Formats: sequence, C-alpha cells, structure tokens
Amino acid sequence: MKIELINRMVMFFSLLVAQVLILNHVHMFEVGTPLLYVYFAITFRRHFPKWLVLLSCFMLGLMVDIFSNTPGLASSVMTVTGLAQCYLLNLIVPRDSAADLASSIKTLGFSKFVTLSALLTLLYCVLFFALEAFNFFDIWMWLARSLVSSALTLVLIVAIESVRSR
Amino acid sequence: MRNLLDFLYKYHHWLVFIVLEVVSVVLLFQYNSYQNSVWFSTASAMAGKVYELESKMTAYLSMAKENEELTMRNLYQERQLDQLRRLYAEATKDTTAAEMKELEFLSQYKLIPAKIVENSIHRLENLIMIDKGRKDGVEPDMGVACGNGVVGVVYLVSDHYSVVISALNTASSRISCAIRGRGYFGYLHWYGGDPTVAYVEDIPRHAKFNLGEWMVTSGFSSIFPSGVQVGRIEQAYNSSDGLSYKLKIRLSTDFCNVRDVVVISDKSIAERAALMQAARDSISFKQRQ
Repeated sequence: MKIELINRMVMFFSLLVAQVLILNHVHMFEVGTPLLYVYFAITFRRHFPKWLVLLSCFMLGLMVDIFSNTPGLASSVMTVTGLAQCYLLNLIVPRDSAADLASSIKTLGFSKFVTLSALLTLLYCVLFFALEAFNFFDIWMWLARSLVSSALTLVLIVAIESVRSR
Repeated sequence: MRNLLDFLYKYHHWLVFIVLEVVSVVLLFQYNSYQNSVWFSTASAMAGKVYELESKMTAYLSMAKENEELTMRNLYQERQLDQLRRLYAEATKDTTAAEMKELEFLSQYKLIPAKIVENSIHRLENLIMIDKGRKDGVEPDMGVACGNGVVGVVYLVSDHYSVVISALNTASSRISCAIRGRGYFGYLHWYGGDPTVAYVEDIPRHAKFNLGEWMVTSGFSSIFPSGVQVGRIEQAYNSSDGLSYKLKIRLSTDFCNVRDVVVISDKSIAERAALMQAARDSISFKQRQ
C-alpha cells in the first residue's frame, strides 16, 4: 500500500511537471493540446478507495489549474473523470477478476485498456473544452478541440503504457 | 439514524464528489473572469425572465381590483358627464356655481362596490345576488348599476348578502327612465325572452325623439340618480290604447356577462320616501273626511 502511494505521488508530480512545462505549450493545428494528466485518473487499480481517487484527481487538477491560471476548470473535470473511472473499470473487467486488478495494458490487455482510456480521455476533453468555452455558439471549434486533443492524449498514453508494460 | 449513517458510509464517495465539484465550480466562477461574466449575464437574464413572469402574474391577479375601480370610475364619470351636459344645455353663465352644484349633486350618493355571486337571465323573474349586505351599508330599494348601465334594485338584505331584482324581471320593475336631453319619462318593463331588449311605456305622443337616442334613468324614482345609462331606443310602437308610445330599448348592460357592480346609496331616499308617504297619508285622510 505504501509503495503504491509513493508510486502514485511520483506519477502525480511527474505528470504535473510534464503538463505544465511541456504539454501546455503544444498547440497542434492551433486546436489540439495533449492533456496527459488524465492518465493519472485512468491508472487507478480496482477497489482503490473512491474518496482517495476523487481527492487526488481533484488535487492534480487544481495544481494544473494553478499553473495554467484556470482555477476550478481542470479540477472539476478531473473529479468527474475520477468518478467515471471507478465505475467504467468495473464494467470493463470480468466480475471475478482480482480485487486489486491494476489498470494497465499488461493486466487488461491492449483493446480493453485502449477502450477505457479512449472513453475517459474523450469524456475529459469534451467536458474540459465545454467548460472552457462556456457557450455552444462555436460548436465545431469545441468538437475539433475535443477530438484532436483526446486523440493526441490517447497516443501519448498508449506510448507511455507500452513502454511501462515491457 | 443508523440507516442514515449506513447510507452515508456506503455512498460517502458521492458526498466527496459533490463537495469537490462545488469547490471547483466556486473557484471557476470566482477566479475566471470570462466564466464569471458569462455566468453572471446568464443568471441575470434568467432572473429577469422570472421577475418579468412574476410581474405579469401579479398584474393579472390585480385585474379584479382594477376592474372594480374602473366600474366605479365609469359610473362616476357618466353621471358627471350627464350633469355637465345638462348644465351646458341650461347655458349657465356662472361656471363656479355650476361646478359647486355638480359637486353637491355627486356627493349626495355613496357608491358601494360589490360582486355578483349568483345571476339568472332565463326565467321570467330573474334575481341577482351580490356579496354585500347590511353590514356594508346596503339597504332595500337602493339602485344597482354596473359600468355599462343599470342592473336592478335591491330587494332583500341580509348581513353580508343582498338579493337584487334584476331589470330583467317581469313581475316588478321600478326603474324610471327618461330620454336623454329631452326629459320625457316612463317605466322600464321587461316581458321575458331576449335579455338584451326591454320596453319603456307611457312616453307621451307629443314627445319628440330619434331612434338610437339614449335612455337614461330619470332620477324621479329616488332609486337611481338621474343619468345612469339604460339603453338605446331601437324602435317606437303605439301603445295599445293609442295614447302613448311604447319604446323598444336595446339594453346597454350585458346581463349575461356582468360581474362587478356598484350599489348606489342615496342619503336622501329615506327623507324623500317619508315625505311622499306623508303626502299620500294626508291626501287619503282628506278624502276620507
């Protein structure tokens, strides 16, 4: 448990630093920004205390917000994503699988993990850009930003995950 | 209590979720000027809509009161107009005196607003019930009118309600009316049937008038002040004895649709009635002698 917490904290800070220092400055096609810190929410193991999932997701979102000067934006969407992860993971894995099944390519298999990641990333991006624009006048711009960003994020997540699973 | 605690324990992550979301949303609207302004303008637009709806509803609800006031005002102005018309006809030179006379005339009457709670038009003897009674100052033999014209005469009074003999009553009609501006008078009668038509008899044959002229109350009966609208002359017939005219009157009051009325209380009624009674007694006494 302790090692797991330390692992989580390391992941927390490395994702935060990567996002704030590098990924926030990427604007592919003027629309896409990879939001890699959603990877933090995706990788919680099964039956991890839900309140801790929510709280740590919220904290990571808040940290990102503080550095990108958008207080409340990432934190609210990260909290939603954290909650969704708890339920989605239970839906995807078989009922009789281990209680502490980790969420990774190695344990879930490629297709299940990518499905989970894609769903959560898409949810995150759609909500994030909706809340950022805060109106639906420019619906195409909103969709374009959500789709391009989630695609970029998903590519990054799969890349990292395949390196880790070796 | 235990169940509640169990419930909270089981779903505590939802509680955490709600708290965190609330904190995020507060942060979002507090510290992001764009979201804050969008939120603020949307919220104020919504509040404006709600207030607008509320004001519309209160305006609608206060319409009953307004209606009552308008009825009063209408009647008052109608009588004022009648007075002015008469004064103009008399071509008074002294306007201050005319004005004083008019005010004196108007202050003679007290108006009691009332609502009709029961009404009928299809019988031969139609009665109307209003929601004001003795405690409100209503007495028998007071006139009842609405903004469009006469309605009837108070017949019976209880503490809070009164029964009014409608002008649409074949048994008794005591509304004395006259042709506006000409002064020939007669009594209003209704013979059943069409609730918009009544007749005035005993108009002398030498009377001059035109069809379409207004009939108004004459003020002779001491029930109504003079000048309250009754209706327009639609047709003139010879009476059965051939000595007078019988006029067909298109009533100005829509009895099917009357709701707000006023009871006209004339302070001088009692005095006039007493005097008339005394005169009659005195004559019959002389005749007996």
